[in-house]
Amino acid sequence: MSIGAAGPLIALAVVVVVFAALNPQFRTLGNVANILDAAAVLAVVTCGTTFVLLLGSIDLSAAGVMAASSLTVALLVENTRNDADYGVLGILVAVLLGAALGGLSGLLLVLLKVPSFMTTLGVSAVGLGIATLLFAGVQPGVVDAGLRGWATGRFLGFTHLTWIAAACVLVGWVVQRHTRLGRYAMAIGGAEEVLALSGVRVAPYKVAVFTMAGAFYGLGAVMVTSQLGSGVVQAGADYSFSAITAAVVGGTLLVGGRGGVLHSTVGVLLLTVLANGLVLVGVSPYVQGGVQGLIVVVAVAAAAAPLRHRNQVVK
Amino acid sequence: MSTPASTAKRSGSAAVAAGPTAAERLTSLMPVLALAVLVVALAAADPDFLRRSSLMAVVDAAAPLAVLAAGATLVVLCGGIDLSIAALASLSSVLLALWLPGLDALAWPAVVAVAAVAGALQGAAHVFLRIPSFIVTLGGMSVFSSIALVVSGAATVPVVDDTSIRWGFSRVLGTVPSAAVVAVVVVAVLALIVKVTPLDSSIKATGYSEAAARLAGIPVDLVKIGAFCVSGACAGLAAVLLVARTFSGGPTLADSLLLPAVAAIVIGGTAITGGHGGVWRTVVGALVVTLLRVGLSIVGVSAAYESILYGAIIVVAVALTLDRSKVLVVK
Repeated sequence: MSIGAAGPLIALAVVVVVFAALNPQFRTLGNVANILDAAAVLAVVTCGTTFVLLLGSIDLSAAGVMAASSLTVALLVENTRNDADYGVLGILVAVLLGAALGGLSGLLLVLLKVPSFMTTLGVSAVGLGIATLLFAGVQPGVVDAGLRGWATGRFLGFTHLTWIAAACVLVGWVVQRHTRLGRYAMAIGGAEEVLALSGVRVAPYKVAVFTMAGAFYGLGAVMVTSQLGSGVVQAGADYSFSAITAAVVGGTLLVGGRGGVLHSTVGVLLLTVLANGLVLVGVSPYVQGGVQGLIVVVAVAAAAAPLRHRNQVVK
Repeated sequence: MSTPASTAKRSGSAAVAAGPTAAERLTSLMPVLALAVLVVALAAADPDFLRRSSLMAVVDAAAPLAVLAAGATLVVLCGGIDLSIAALASLSSVLLALWLPGLDALAWPAVVAVAAVAGALQGAAHVFLRIPSFIVTLGGMSVFSSIALVVSGAATVPVVDDTSIRWGFSRVLGTVPSAAVVAVVVVAVLALIVKVTPLDSSIKATGYSEAAARLAGIPVDLVKIGAFCVSGACAGLAAVLLVARTFSGGPTLADSLLLPAVAAIVIGGTAITGGHGGVWRTVVGALVVTLLRVGLSIVGVSAAYESILYGAIIVVAVALTLDRSKVLVVK
C-alpha cells in the first residue's frame, strides 16, 4: 500500500487520536459502539455509491430511492396505517424497489445516453414523488418487532445495524474483488473505450452496477426506517451527498477506476468520527453539512492535483 | 465530467461542419410548442384559465423561477451545471430578512452582491482546482444550507418592514405583476449584454469545445467564473422576489426550486452538454414548468405527482437536447 492510498487511514487515526485527547467522553467503549452504529446506514449507502463512482459515473438518486423504499417497508411490515404484516417479505420488496429504481437510472443512462448525474437526479425526483404518494399525509409507524429490533437489539455490544453494515461491506468487497461485475466496473472506469473495443458489452454491466447500488440504498432505507421507527419521506435526504463525500474522502476517485469499497468505508468512518467528535466538542450539528461540503471540495481537488498536467477539460 | 482534450477538439470541428440538423431545429421549436399546447389544453380543461387574472397569476408564479434559472443557464451554456442555486437563494432570503431592519434600502443590493461573490467563489474553485462543476456546486449547496441554518437558528426569519423590497411583489399599471417585469428586465439585460459583446461567442465556444476555445485565445477561465458569478447574483435576486411575497426568509425557503429550475433550463432547449441554448429559452421553460404545475391542480391530480413529473421531464428533455456528437462515452 502506497503512502497516498494510506492517506485516509492515517487521517482517520489522527482524527481519532485528536478527539480522544480533547474529550474523555470520546474514548469510551460505549462511544465507539455509538460511532459504528451512526456509521452503519452511511456505510451501506456508500457501498452502492462506490460501485457507481468506480464506473466514472455519479449517483445522486439515494435521497429519492431511500424515501420510496422507506415508505414501502413501513407500509408492508406490521404498521400503524394498514393491516399488512409481511415481515421479511416487506423488507425484501423495499430492497427490490430500490434495485428497480437504480436499474432505471442505469437503463436511462445506457439507452438514452443521458449523463448519470441527470438520470439519477430525475430518478431521485421520481422516488420522492412515489414516497409522497405513499405517505398520503399520515406517517406510518413501524410496529413490527423484528424490524424495530434491527436498531435496538445488540450482539456482542454492537447494534444489529452495525453488523448488517459490516456484512454489506464484506459483500461489497467480495463483489468488487472476486466477481466479473466488480472487475468490469473497475475497468469501465479506467478505460471504457478499450474495454468496449476488446469486445466486452459494457451496457449490461453498467445497468447491473446501478441496480446493485439501488439495492444497497433500499437496504439503507430499511435501516433508517428501523432507526426512526416510521416511514419518512426525508429518510435519505442527505445521504446522496454524504455517500459521495465519504467515498471521495476515502480515496475512490470521481474519474473512476480507482478506490473501492474498503477505501470508501474508511471515508465513512472518517466522516462519522468527525461528526461525533465535533458534537462532543460542542460544534452545532448545523455546521456539519458545511464541513462536509468543504471536505469534499478539498478531497476532490487533492485527488485531481496529480492529474493537472494532463490537458484535461473539466466540465 | 472530464473529457480528454482530443475528443473535444474532434467533435468541435464536426459540430461546425454539420450545422443545425433537423433534430436541432425541432428541439429549438419544442419549448414554444410545448407552451402553446399547454395553454390550449388548460383553456380547454378550464375556460376560466384564459381570464386575465389567472394568466397574470401564472406569470407571477413563474417569475422567481425564471430569474433563478436564467442565471444558471449561462453556466449550462458553458458546459457546466450549478446545483447550488436553490440553496444559495435560501441563504440569500435569510440574509435579506436579517439585514432589512439594519440596512433598509441597501439590504437587497448587498444580498445580491454577496450571492454573486458566493457564485464567483464556486466558479474559481471549479476553474483553478479543476473540480467538476457539479461537485463544487453540490459542496456549495451543503455549505450554503449549513450557513443559512446557523445564521437563522434553523427558523423562519419574519420581515416586519418590507417597504424597500415591495417592488418585488406589487402590480405595475394595476394588473401586471412587478415580479414578472423584474424577471423580463433581468433576462433582457442578460441577453443584451451577451448579444452586444463578444461574450456570446466566448460562452458558446467554451461550451462547444473548451480546448479549442482556449487555443483560440478566449479567456475560458474568466468566462466560466463570470457565468457562475451571474448565476449566484440571479439566485440572490430570486431570493429578493421570494422574500417580498412571503414576508419572510427561511433556511429551506427556495430549496424545492432546484428541480423546477433545472427542468426549466432543459425544457427551454439549452443542451446540458453546453454551447447550445439561451436565456430567453429558459423563460419559456419556466413558464412551461409553472403551467404544468397549475395544470396538474386544474385536472385534479395530486401534487405528489409533481416531483415524478419533474424527474421524467428532466431526463426526457436532456435526452432530446443532448449534443450526441460530443459524448462518445456517457458517464
